[in-house]
This record gives sequence, C-alpha cells and structure tokens, in this order.
Amino acid sequence: MSYNELIKNFGRIRDYMRDFYIGGFKSRGEYDKKSARSYDDERRRLESWLGDYMGFRQTVLGKNVFIAIDSRLVRHNPLYKAWKAKSFTDGDITLHFLLFDILDAGGIAFPLNQIMEKLDTYLADVSERETFDASTVRKKLKEYGQEGLILTEKQGKTLLYRRGEMIKLPSVDLLDFFSEIAPCGVIGSYLLDKLPAGGGHFAFKHHYITQALDCGILCALFNAMRQKRGVELSLMGQCAGEIIKKQVVPLRIFISVQGGRQYLMADYKGYPSAFRLDRILCVQEGECCEEFDHLRDMLDRMQQNIWGVSTRGITGNGGEAGQPGLERVEFIIRYDTGQEYIHDRLMREKRCGRVEKMDAHRSRFIAEVYDSSELVPWIRTFLGRIESIRFSNKKLARRFQYDLKAMYQMYGIIKDGKEDVS
Amino acid sequence: MFREWYGAYYNTVAKILKEASGHPVTRERVREIIREQAFLESVLTVEPALFSGRWPFLSPDGRSRLGHVPDMPLSLLQKRWLKAIFLDPRIQLFECGLEGLEGIEPLFVPEDLCVFDQYADGDPYGEETYIQHFRFLLHAIREHRPLAMDVANRRGTTTHMDVVPEYLEYSEKDDKFRLVTSGCHYGRIINLAKIRSIKYVEPGTEIWEWAKNHKGKPVFEKESVVFELYDGRNTLERALLHFAHFEKRAEHICGKRYRVRVVYNREDETELVIRVLSFGPFLRVVEPEHFVGLIRKRLKDQSVLTGFLEEGGEEDLPRD
Repeated sequence: MSYNELIKNFGRIRDYMRDFYIGGFKSRGEYDKKSARSYDDERRRLESWLGDYMGFRQTVLGKNVFIAIDSRLVRHNPLYKAWKAKSFTDGDITLHFLLFDILDAGGIAFPLNQIMEKLDTYLADVSERETFDASTVRKKLKEYGQEGLILTEKQGKTLLYRRGEMIKLPSVDLLDFFSEIAPCGVIGSYLLDKLPAGGGHFAFKHHYITQALDCGILCALFNAMRQKRGVELSLMGQCAGEIIKKQVVPLRIFISVQGGRQYLMADYKGYPSAFRLDRILCVQEGECCEEFDHLRDMLDRMQQNIWGVSTRGITGNGGEAGQPGLERVEFIIRYDTGQEYIHDRLMREKRCGRVEKMDAHRSRFIAEVYDSSELVPWIRTFLGRIESIRFSNKKLARRFQYDLKAMYQMYGIIKDGKEDVS
Repeated sequence: MFREWYGAYYNTVAKILKEASGHPVTRERVREIIREQAFLESVLTVEPALFSGRWPFLSPDGRSRLGHVPDMPLSLLQKRWLKAIFLDPRIQLFECGLEGLEGIEPLFVPEDLCVFDQYADGDPYGEETYIQHFRFLLHAIREHRPLAMDVANRRGTTTHMDVVPEYLEYSEKDDKFRLVTSGCHYGRIINLAKIRSIKYVEPGTEIWEWAKNHKGKPVFEKESVVFELYDGRNTLERALLHFAHFEKRAEHICGKRYRVRVVYNREDETELVIRVLSFGPFLRVVEPEHFVGLIRKRLKDQSVLTGFLEEGGEEDLPRD
C-alpha cells in the first residue's frame, strides 16, 4: 500500500511516538518488532506531523530518531497532532460537508429520501462522481447520531434528521488551560480547533505531554466507570508481541504528576491492582458490576495506606507494622535555624503519612503503607538531613543502606569501605 | 475519540470553504491555509483533491459550492468533556457559563481520579481575592499592560514591584500558578497566591517605555546536567519518563549503561539535584563538576549524620 500521512489505527504510532519521545536512542535496526518499511513510514509521518520537534543523530549503530520537546516552552501539546491524523475516504469527507450543509438551517429536519434528493442534485451539478446509495447515507447518519452530531426525531413512521444543537464555546484561555491539564485533554484541543487562533497565555511546568498518547484508553475506562461496568484489558506482555487479557472492574485513575505515569486502579481477582495506562492496548467493555460502589468504598479505605499505587501487602505478604498487610516507615529529618521550610516541605509532601515536629530542628515522618518500597525515592530526596530511619520491612532497610553505601562509593565519599577525608 | 471529523484535514477544508464562501480563494491562499492548519505533507493531498473536484466543494474559480459556511455541532464526547471540566475547582478562575450542557453526563467526575503525588499546599482557587487577581492578570497579559504589584515575601512583609506580565505558568506538581514577568530585575516569577494587590501602571512611566520596546518573551538561563544511568530495577524507563518534560538527549553506551543529558532552567537546579538523588545509585552525575559537587555535598552531610550503616545484599546494582 502506498504511503499516506494519515493513519487508520492509533495503536502502532502510539508505540513509535513513545519510543522517539521518551527514549530516542534506538537506531532503525533496533526496532525489531516491526518491519523496516513500517518504521520508515511511521518516522516519515511523525516528521510530517511534528516538523521541527523531530531530530536525528548519527551513531555507530546507525541514525537515531528522537522527538525533542521542552514542554515548558510549548503552549499546546504537539503530540495531540497524532489524534488529528485519522484516515478517511473521499466518500466520507464529501458526505460530511454535504450532510451538514443540507441540515444547516436552524432546526430544520429532513427524512432520508429528501436528504438523498438534495445530495443527488448537488452532485449532479458539481461533480462527475457517482452519487451515494441510501444505505451508505443512512449508515453515516446513524454514525453521526451515535456521536451526537445529528439528532433524530420520529414524524409518524418517518425518521427525520437534523443537526445537533450548537452551544457557545468557552474562551480560548479556558480551553488552552484545560486541554493541557485535564484528562483526555485532546478533546479540549479538538474544541480549540473550532475557535480562531489566539491565546497562548499559559505555560506549563512539570508537564508530562505523553498523557496525550493514552487519551483513547483513558476515555474508554471513564466510560466503563461511569456505567459501573467491568472491562477486558488487553495488556502488553513482557515478551515482544505478547498480549495478556485480564477481566477487571475499573475503579479509579491514579495520576502521577511527578513521574509522568497514569494508572488504572481496578479490582482484579478480589483485590485492587494498578495497571499502567501505557501498557494497556485495548479496553473491551463488559457487563455491569453490581458491586462497583462497594469496591470503590473499599479502595477509598485502602487509599489511606497507599503511598503511590502499589497494594502489594494487601494479600498478606507484609504485615510487619502491627496490621495485616501494612509496613511501617519512620524517619527523622534535621534542619537548622532558618530552614523551617524543610518541615513545610514534609507537610506538603507527606500524602498518607504523618509529620510531627519534635523540636525546633527536627521533624519525624511516619507512614503505614502496603508497600514501603514506594517511599524510597522520595526519602532519598532528603539525603543530607536524615538523622535516623527505620523500615519494618527488614529486606528494604538493608537495601536502602546498601544503596546509600553504593552512592557514597560512587561519589568518592568512601573508598574501599572507608571514609574519604580528602 | 479517534475520528476523522476532528482531524486536521477536515478542519483545513472547513477553513478554506469558510474563506471561499465570501470571495474566491487562490491556489496560493489554499496552500497557505493547508500549511497553517494541517501537516507538512498535507498540501500534496488536500490541494489537488479540492481543485480536481475529487472533493467537490470548490468551483474552478475558487468559490465554495456549499450553501453555508461549514460548521459542525459539538459531539456528545466534546460536551461530556466540557461538563467534566466544569466540575474542576480551577474552573472558577475563568468567566464562563454552562449553557447548553443541561442533561449531559460528564465524561468523568472528580471521584474517578486521584492525583496521588500532588503537593498539598496548592493555590486557593475558591478565594475571591485570588480569583480577582487571576482574572486581572489574564486581562493584563492579553493587553501586555504594565502592572504595579505588592507581593508577600519570605520576611513576612511585602515587596513592591513594577512589571510587565508575560504569561501564567501552571505546575501540576505544585498545583500553583506563577506569573512570569519582564521589565523588573528581581522577581521575574511571582507566585499568584503571594500577590497582595495589583493595579495598572499609568502610561508614560519607565516600565511603559520598557514594555513598548521589549515584546519578546523572557529568556531563562539554561544549564545542562549529564548523568550515566544504570538500568537496574527498571530505572531506564522510569528515569527517562521522569525527566521527559525537559529537553533531553539519551544515548546507549553499552550493556545496561546509558548517558543522558538534561537541559534545565538554572533556577530549578535544587529541584533537579533532589530528583537525581531520588534514583539512588542508578544515576551518577558526570558533569558539570559543580552539579557533582552539589550531590556530593548532600551525601557527605548524610554520612556525617548517620555514619556508615550495616551492609545488605543487592544484586541489581551498577558495577564497574
């Protein structure tokens, strides 16, 4: 098939965009899952969509392609462009503009036969193309009806079609903002396309634009949650090309604004489990779940002991903090006079933990969580101030100390196990 | 959600037909609109399709054949998304109404989401003064009009400054808005929640002259840090995503080792230091020397506080 800059399915380009944007260090030959032809086509499409954001560098292994975007400088997420590249036929676009032109006048409604007459007249006047058959037009009208673009009403036995209601759009500023920070923000970007260019009054710091790639999955999960339905997830397996299917009840979307990941928290085999959105390939809607409210209540209670997304201890493998499944972490931070902002930092970052001010120069943090290993990266950000630390999970305690020693060695604080006093 | 009618081609054709409904459009103008609205190679498809009649909307002289200016109603999905964002507390900052969305089910509600690592001291979006300041600033930014402001400082007093407002910067991590300004040699970035009062500066003053002569956005001093990454415990993927919002470059050195350069604003250096530390022994800063020194200082301080503690066993650590 000849090259086309538009695409039929979003899935394949999603992988490439993620690879080029997050990694960007692989050469053509390392994209072994797909054919070389496919790689060339996808790369060319991305160049066409993203223009100057695409970069190349030559290495000994070949040419590496990457997407370089400082998300603090861009006002609109460039990755949304991929969502605006859906392929279509000449018939699709012709019918689209003609149907909305026919149904343009305020409140006017026509039956299918009148719409067909108007289409035939238009096409006979202006085009040599054959007209459409009634079943194609009916199918298109039905599709638009399901999307809310066209409304139907019965007049006796006849079905009438009219265009959906127009509403006043919010301001460009509002859409500029929420299209970047709200879930499924690409929908806001679609709305912005309907307004005259302008805005650009907002910038975004700590802005993870890769969420754009998971908007479709997220939307399907929201639909399931709003209807309290179970779903079948198709997930990427560990091996290339492997797909794993799991039946789950979606309960909540967990978003990390510090790590860039989004997760589905879902009931899986009786326990809440987290699934990364970027590992979900497809969501198939299932049956309504009568227990949905109960499962969500259970998650609400559990969240008091979930630091990030892990519920590892819930199955009873933890249990060293006095409660089944919970692990305890406790550390004391020291700071000088004038550095009380360190205590404030603990307060704003403590999540489900507790903070106690011990005296003018020390604060204690305590948390009981299902998986204390999730706290370790955050605890490391206090290195240089940790007076003492205790993990109820002894294996994790050893690992923390071992890692710390490795860091001391790495930066020459100790050499051969001894302190470097130089 | 992935539908052709939201796509760049449909929007481009609508824009061309809108313009062609008033007067004929030339091929050159059509190409210009395609370049503005669609992708680099779209001109190869859209222009011939329109002028050959394959997409039968334009007459040979470049006029629209349609009876009306193209306009598509909002889809249910778009309405449901709008309804959902109207449940967000930050919506109060904008002057807008909900007309036309009665009876529409939101795509999501706040209970469907949990942003689990957002800081707890976010801005007060419901406070009347904060809302007034936000709207005032947005107006001033649109007008590029200088402001006189009193801003709370760390000493518990207020600092007065005359600034040119450039744009608002929002951080999802901090859940705060900051005003980025120019024309003032201190306080280029101002927390909105710290603003005590704002008013417009009268024309003819020094800051007005400055605003007239400086139209560009403020430029921040850039620095870069290079670290070597050892891909144990899935660090490669975690770290590259973690630092994804920066301009960066990653290279594979050999085996599980990678070299990553991250470009950052100088004012964010302390934040970057602790973010590098959070990856433990899996990231080793190799340059610049002063950044290495900042990491080393923290580790040295830590070693003084707790000494060198018991050893453990761990297999997946970087080894030379």
